[in-house]
Amino acid sequence: MHDLKHTLFFETLLEEPFNDLVKQAVEDGDVALGYNCYYIPETLLNLPGCFSSRLRAPNCAATPIGDYYLTNRNCPYSRAILERAVEGSYNYLSALFGAEACSAMERMEEHFEQIHPVKHDPFVTTIIDAPLKSDRAALVYYMNELRDKVVAKIAELGVDTSDDALMAAIEDHNEVSAIITEIGDFRKLDNPTVTGYEFHVIQLVSEVCPHKLILPYLKETLEEIRERTPDAKPDFRARVIVAGSEIDDPEFTKLLEFCGARVVGDRYCFGAKPGREPIEIRDGESPFEAICRHYLETNLCARFMSEDKIDQRTDVLEAMVKEYKADGVIIESMKFCEFWSYEKVLASHILTQERGIPTCQIEKDYTLTGAGQLRTRFQAFVEGLEIKKLDTAGKGA
Amino acid sequence: MKKLISFVFRLVKRIIKIGVLLFVVTFGIYMSNAENKLIYDVVRPLLNKHYDNQARDRRI
Amino acid sequence: MKEKIISFIDQKLQRFDPIWLAENGKGGQRTRYRDDGSGIARYREWRGVEDTFQDYTAWLKNLGYMGAMVARDPVKVLKGIWEYRWMGSFLASFAFVDRIYEGYRGRELDIANIHGNAIVRILTLRIGLILHNDARLGGGEMTDKMIGLDETIPPLFTAGFPTLNAEPMQTMPEFVVCDVDQHLDPYYIDVAESYGLAPDVCSRCSAETGVAIDDAFPVFGKLVLSTNQPCNASEATSMFQRRRFHQKGIEDYPFVFAMQHNTKNGNDYSKEELRQAIQKIEEVYDVKYDWNALFEKAKNMNHQNQIELEKWEIFATPFSPLSGINESLYKLVEWALVNGHDEYFNEIDDKVIGIMRQAVKDQYLPYKGKTRHRAFLWGPSAMYYTDFPTWAQNCWGIDIVLNMDSTMGHNMINTEDPEQALTDLAKFSEKGVMRHHAVGGWDNVNAVWEWANRLNCDMVICNDNVACKGMNGVHALLEEQAQQLGFKFVFLPHDLEDCRTIPRKEIRKAINDYMSIVLNEEPLDATLVDFDDAEAW
Repeated sequence: MHDLKHTLFFETLLEEPFNDLVKQAVEDGDVALGYNCYYIPETLLNLPGCFSSRLRAPNCAATPIGDYYLTNRNCPYSRAILERAVEGSYNYLSALFGAEACSAMERMEEHFEQIHPVKHDPFVTTIIDAPLKSDRAALVYYMNELRDKVVAKIAELGVDTSDDALMAAIEDHNEVSAIITEIGDFRKLDNPTVTGYEFHVIQLVSEVCPHKLILPYLKETLEEIRERTPDAKPDFRARVIVAGSEIDDPEFTKLLEFCGARVVGDRYCFGAKPGREPIEIRDGESPFEAICRHYLETNLCARFMSEDKIDQRTDVLEAMVKEYKADGVIIESMKFCEFWSYEKVLASHILTQERGIPTCQIEKDYTLTGAGQLRTRFQAFVEGLEIKKLDTAGKGA
Repeated sequence: MKKLISFVFRLVKRIIKIGVLLFVVTFGIYMSNAENKLIYDVVRPLLNKHYDNQARDRRI
Repeated sequence: MKEKIISFIDQKLQRFDPIWLAENGKGGQRTRYRDDGSGIARYREWRGVEDTFQDYTAWLKNLGYMGAMVARDPVKVLKGIWEYRWMGSFLASFAFVDRIYEGYRGRELDIANIHGNAIVRILTLRIGLILHNDARLGGGEMTDKMIGLDETIPPLFTAGFPTLNAEPMQTMPEFVVCDVDQHLDPYYIDVAESYGLAPDVCSRCSAETGVAIDDAFPVFGKLVLSTNQPCNASEATSMFQRRRFHQKGIEDYPFVFAMQHNTKNGNDYSKEELRQAIQKIEEVYDVKYDWNALFEKAKNMNHQNQIELEKWEIFATPFSPLSGINESLYKLVEWALVNGHDEYFNEIDDKVIGIMRQAVKDQYLPYKGKTRHRAFLWGPSAMYYTDFPTWAQNCWGIDIVLNMDSTMGHNMINTEDPEQALTDLAKFSEKGVMRHHAVGGWDNVNAVWEWANRLNCDMVICNDNVACKGMNGVHALLEEQAQQLGFKFVFLPHDLEDCRTIPRKEIRKAINDYMSIVLNEEPLDATLVDFDDAEAW
């Protein structure tokens, strides 16, 4: 397949948090609002006059400062973000909205308040408590937390947080999501016209760039993919879904695809599932409640404890496997991640033993160190899937 | 009456004897740490052997 | 006359007293131990006539409690020992009691044995009850009337169900028994890791997961309340455990608490969760919540907390004969396991506070006045090294005045108005074990300096659980604060329940190095500085 027109530009945008589009938006007077976790609804940060910036730490090879503050026995994503913060990578931010979803992330976010690494005036940090269930009581708690610690703070930064502004944010979210979803749906084709790597890059730019500035590029890319002709012979041997935690390095997807897989589904933090589902406003709901409910319902975080949410995690994966015609699932856990250490074992057991879906468990660092080991694992898994397919085909014949 | 006094006397004597004997035995066990030695050197190794050979319904 | 005889015998036998041996350079506490790393003493500690006799009677009493447990249902107890590996570990209880109260004399020993007896009494009662009603062992009359609680859910609220019995699920198989036998939990941790669980997760939760996978939970009740207390790994392991409970036909209900427990939003949420948990129990067991029954037990809890607040005042003085593991272990059992349900513990509290008041009156200096430093122990401790505070006092004269977990929920609970009681209970319950100061934001952790000042401590020892992501995340901030505020500060590395990662000897080394290299001090008992106890329980 020919290269997409904007891939290179998108890749450039992912090299630094303070990329050209972010720079432009800040120069235009928009307020930059940072966040790390899906528990903070991106939509609430994309009101007219402000924009969301999901924090990444690209190319962060060593984290001596992060290690000093959080120890080297802690989440590498959190360490890398703190490292970058101290280096000054997020000095464009007016706020960091954190979530006490996991301890490591929460502690890292606390350091934004304690050691003042972000040199920007004003700069505020708040951390919401994130519920572990999705029932009414949890929703009320979630709404109270978001109202007090996110919306109120955004208003203090001079941004309009009225219902009209929230409606505009929902429309913006739905527009971006519709484009990303349509691009992602091309992965369902027998011979997909978009690669997993490309999709990963596209999804990431939609999370780290101001929507109004990235939207024209996304629209153009969608048009291009609609017309794109795939290679006559697919260059992959197996279709896989990737599930896991913070995967914001498209090189990871590239590595996987180099090993003969095609990533047709992304069910991880920074992925499109969850994240790019449209927000609907139900009868009697205010825009704010609709946003909160949407994010609570679609959230697939491994920390949810209620039965419906636990089942939802594997049900979604199983449905994705069918929808995207995947041959297997790769379940990733970042080193030192408590939740995904458990979820990796549990989900893999349920998918493999109870639902007959082949899975491969991997543990990785935030950056792509240990690529050699991962390559070996992926190659073996792809080979296994291929053999399984041949076996099935043979039996069918 | 004499018989009764003698019976009570013998009973008290016996109780004291048993008490002293019990004290000597238990205090002996206590001071020599005998129960811990027995558990550490004999009981637990046997139990561990049993536990290690147990068939358990291991699953997620 | 009596004093003269005692004094004469004491003088004659003082060469067997480890403290006298250490004072005179002729040995010390480790002199009487075998050299094989087993931690088994050749003979028990000679503490002088009075104290030895006192300790002996306490030992007899413990023996009696254990005998009574067996006598109540010998078949089930024997079956339990045969079925459950963790039951075998309870046999190490006698050695455990010796270990944690080593070197205690006078009023410290009085209180220690009062507490020790109370702990053994309640544990034998509860173990007996669990085994008697364990469906796996044949069941009993209460089997279907029991509620399984996650060990970290404070059980006070269940007092409103007087016809039911709430028992913690993990306390016996894992939580308490790993204090007694350091080699138990590594077995369960290995089971969990053999199924793919990463070795860097919290070892407590890893062990609980192993118990679930190994099918080693006792089986009782119709419902288990799982929880997110205290933190991330607890939430995650609950998801494994619930599968095992379901396999046994026991329903699971996640009873969650706000992580940020110092906010109004958080308290409101925890209160709502509490209300729903009560409703769930009502539904499953078809019973009605009895507020008066709750109020009765809440009065016990309030009494306990009133005494606790007075104890804190006495801890601030140099005259408290209650400190170290004696204080924290009793508090843990009384708070987390008893939680107002047993009036007997109020009697114990009354007795102990009496001794403490008298000690203040008499200006009594505990540990023969050998304390050099008063330390606050912060962060969840190494459970396989419960006797660390005892060692710190005996070896270096560091008195662990209070432990972080002893500051658990101490607000009073309204005993007249159900709505207010629910509010109070929610606040009380969310400040549970390993939680009050370990989660919920930096301010909770940073409160250590206030505590240390309030209790006149010159030293803070911070338990550094290598797998605790939350406490790892405040490492440098704590160290910087200690420097600014002028506290002596040591990180104590440990792996909570896995003694293989950082053995007790390594933990001691951290203190030995600090005391000898940084503070340039000499040990009180040289035999305690470097010894092998790797194979000890």
